[in-house]
Amino acid sequence: MGDRQSLNRSLTAIGVFVVVYVLVVLLIDNSYYRLMLTLVPIWATLGLAWNLFSGYSGLVSFGHASFFGLGAYTATLLQIHFDVTFWFGIPCGMLVGGLAGLVIGWPTFRLQGVYFALAMLAYPLAFLYLFEWLGYQEVSLPMKRENAAYYMQFDDQRAYIALTLGLMTTAMLISLFVEHSRFGLSLVAIKQNELAAEGVGIDTKRWKLLAIVLSGTIAAAAGGLYAKVLLVVTPPTVFGMITSAQALIVTLFGGVGTFWGPVIGAGFLIPLAEILHGEFGHILPGIQGVTFGIAIVIVIMLAPEGVFWKVRDRFRLGEGKAEPAPGFTAAELAPPPDRAVTSGQTVLDVGGVSKRFGGLLALNQVTFQVKAGEILGIIGPNGAGKTTLFNVLNGYYPPSEGGVRFLEQDLLGLKPNRVCRLGIGRTFQIVRAFPRLNVLQNVVVGAFVRAENDRAARRMAEAAVARVGLGGSRLKQAGGLTTKELRLMELARAIAPRPTLLLLDEPLAGLGHEEVEELFPILQRLRAEGITIVIIEHTMQAMVRLVDRMVVLDHGMVIAQGAPAAVTRDPAVIEAYLGKKWAAHAQN
Amino acid sequence: MKRSILLSLAAGVLLSGGAMAQPKEVKIGLIAPLSGPWARQGELMRKGAELAVDDINGSGGIQGLGGAKIRLIVGDAGENAEKAKNAAQRLLSEHPDLSAGTGAWLSSFTLAITEVTERAKLPWLTLSYSEQITARGFKYVFQTSATAADQAQKTLPIIIKAAQAAGAAKPKTMGVISDNTASPVNFMKFMREKGLQENGVELVVDEVFTPPLADATPPVQKVRQRRPDMMLVYPTGTADVKLVLEKFKEFNLDKGRLPMFGNGAQFGTPEILNAVGKDLLEGFIFSLANWPTKETEAMAKRFMVRFNEPFVGQDPVSTYGDVQLVKAVIEKMKSAEAEKVAEGLRAIDLKGGVAAFYAGGKVKFEDNGRRADAGIYLVQWQNGVPVTVYPPEAAQAKINWPKK
Repeated sequence: MGDRQSLNRSLTAIGVFVVVYVLVVLLIDNSYYRLMLTLVPIWATLGLAWNLFSGYSGLVSFGHASFFGLGAYTATLLQIHFDVTFWFGIPCGMLVGGLAGLVIGWPTFRLQGVYFALAMLAYPLAFLYLFEWLGYQEVSLPMKRENAAYYMQFDDQRAYIALTLGLMTTAMLISLFVEHSRFGLSLVAIKQNELAAEGVGIDTKRWKLLAIVLSGTIAAAAGGLYAKVLLVVTPPTVFGMITSAQALIVTLFGGVGTFWGPVIGAGFLIPLAEILHGEFGHILPGIQGVTFGIAIVIVIMLAPEGVFWKVRDRFRLGEGKAEPAPGFTAAELAPPPDRAVTSGQTVLDVGGVSKRFGGLLALNQVTFQVKAGEILGIIGPNGAGKTTLFNVLNGYYPPSEGGVRFLEQDLLGLKPNRVCRLGIGRTFQIVRAFPRLNVLQNVVVGAFVRAENDRAARRMAEAAVARVGLGGSRLKQAGGLTTKELRLMELARAIAPRPTLLLLDEPLAGLGHEEVEELFPILQRLRAEGITIVIIEHTMQAMVRLVDRMVVLDHGMVIAQGAPAAVTRDPAVIEAYLGKKWAAHAQN
Repeated sequence: MKRSILLSLAAGVLLSGGAMAQPKEVKIGLIAPLSGPWARQGELMRKGAELAVDDINGSGGIQGLGGAKIRLIVGDAGENAEKAKNAAQRLLSEHPDLSAGTGAWLSSFTLAITEVTERAKLPWLTLSYSEQITARGFKYVFQTSATAADQAQKTLPIIIKAAQAAGAAKPKTMGVISDNTASPVNFMKFMREKGLQENGVELVVDEVFTPPLADATPPVQKVRQRRPDMMLVYPTGTADVKLVLEKFKEFNLDKGRLPMFGNGAQFGTPEILNAVGKDLLEGFIFSLANWPTKETEAMAKRFMVRFNEPFVGQDPVSTYGDVQLVKAVIEKMKSAEAEKVAEGLRAIDLKGGVAAFYAGGKVKFEDNGRRADAGIYLVQWQNGVPVTVYPPEAAQAKINWPKK
């Protein structure tokens, strides 16, 4: 399968990279360059840690120095006060780093966007002053003259390179496996749209916490080794702004959201800064900072997503070849037996739902039922409350009054990812694609909800892609799809976990007449395969031909419901759409 | 003269086993922050070192090595310990033949670079204060300044002596206005623990604030009420120093009417003069590990003329001294080999001459690398210039202390 292939390819690439690095180390005997070769993996590892959290999940952390510094100080203080070797001190530091991730993440995830980023900035600053206050302004690691190796102290610099390279490789492998697992895809989904991710059944808080804990652990390991290499720990060097920024800079430069990014960034920027410093520093002190800054600005302007993605796009690497899609049995397509419904059974019961936003009554006593096997259209002019209704059904908003039952289960108070798990799929008015992933990967994210393991999820995704007729483009990057393909992809994502009920929010928006014609049979086939569909549209024309029944909303109220032919003749409906004048005309 | 050169050449050839000619050039390293927030201090160190190199080379180089010239190899310690360590590693890998070095101003930088120089067995001089620098069992690090704890210990006794020498009664009460950052807190820690008691001084005003200071009125008001015999004024930020001194002026306690002192070179920079002003600083005293003295005034004058600096402080004097000291050791050992220079530094016992560039006027290193009997100076702002006022053998001017 395509994914297995790309995993193997990445593993080979990492292997080649490590071998080349080792060869370079063996060729160089200049102690200064060896120090560079020791520092590059440390900063790359910090970058990898940052990328593991911020790169995949999109929650920008300006505070990874917290974990780095805690790792450095834990290992250092353990050696100073308790004569504990770094071989044990660094793992202890990692524990502290991971724990700090949990303690920091738990409250901070309440914040979003820039607020989250700024809050993260505050932690290392607080640690900086805390450690200064504790009297650890300058902690120097004593040189051990006996049992040096036991204290992780070596005469040969290459031993340190081996350690830092080992750590970086481990971090790369962790990142690689995260990228290729449900974990990574879930984080990417959160990055693209946290609400949408919840909508496809991802428990966003859990994944985010897991990510920051893992990230903190890795960053702490990097910090511990950094202390051992530098032998002096001061709060500004490990908790300082520059340290947090370094993690961002190497990753943004090299490429966000891929484990190659931090490695490329650190491998290029750290030596560049040093060479500039070495060659020009004594003539124009500080010139390295200026040149370094300019280089970063140029790269960010020419390759805003980082060097890695630019190169990949340039040479179109990573685009899989189309393989014949596997076949599927009917049992794999229908909703799972535990949620099988009989035709005519009430699937969704919306009872007297109201939703208030301050003084605005967006939904007013909305009541209707959805029967198994039907296509129900919810129509209404713009602002009628259609999307709000979906958001209530999905659990994004709690209703102010009333309740929603799905197959006799009360949905009140359930989070979107729980609602999704029960068997309600959803698409969005604006397509939430994950542009850097291919079609199949986009869909897999949706399948995780019901899949026991990653392999099953992949199989379900393949089936869903085939069902919507995207089999031929399933390895294309989502960024290059047409609007219709995007709609179909989103549809596939929603049906991948084989939901009982599918909520489609304006699936026809932005499609041409012919494309709409192509979409209809697909929806009808889905219904034939046993999925109940509720669809929002404001274009009456298209709906009339597609749906079995209609519910018309206006100003948050149900003004009509019934068969399309009856509804379209209803004066109230005509009035809502066209105004009083036309309602009178229609009657005549 | 010719004879002695020949002799020394012969001796040099003998010492080096006759296999190699003596080096034409002797390399001395300097690592100092030349970029980043401490670039100015690094610049002053570099200027001091350059002046020493030119003085030596201009007067015939190193006689003991056939007039070998000194070449200064400079590394930029940048803005953090990592950069400083990189600079040290680079210096060593590009110039494995360094004879000795000096730097890197900030204690944490010095701690980092000496990890490198120690392993390379390169003798390293430093003016940094931290006790840790010479508490690691290193054999190739030589700390020329009194350590921070040492300075905290010595300041009060010499302030009292200076006051008495000026004809005033022994100060019995003291007030403190300081912030709660590391340096003042550590400085005061010793005083609180025993310094005050040992010296028979009572603390009557104790005002510690978290910077920045919003209003200096309440603490200065307290000072006016209690009227201590002297004041320790120790904010770290220049703006806070200015605020406090302005308030003292408002209460008519300025111009040395109430003796005020602090600790550290930051009280004696051209920058503080510009920011706080000549009038407010008048009479302010600070203790520190090194400053020009009446013996080293000539060097200070040449420095001011050449580099167009208003006055000379600790950084250029110490660094100038370090280069001269290394030169003196090379002369004595008749070898520029790092191992020999280290040996020479360990054995040195100097009074006068080069030793005049260090407070106390003596150069002898203890086993751990600290300079034995490293003294401190009291420097007072007089007419917009910070001049050494104590001890008398170093003083450039008399201390202004009110006789009451």
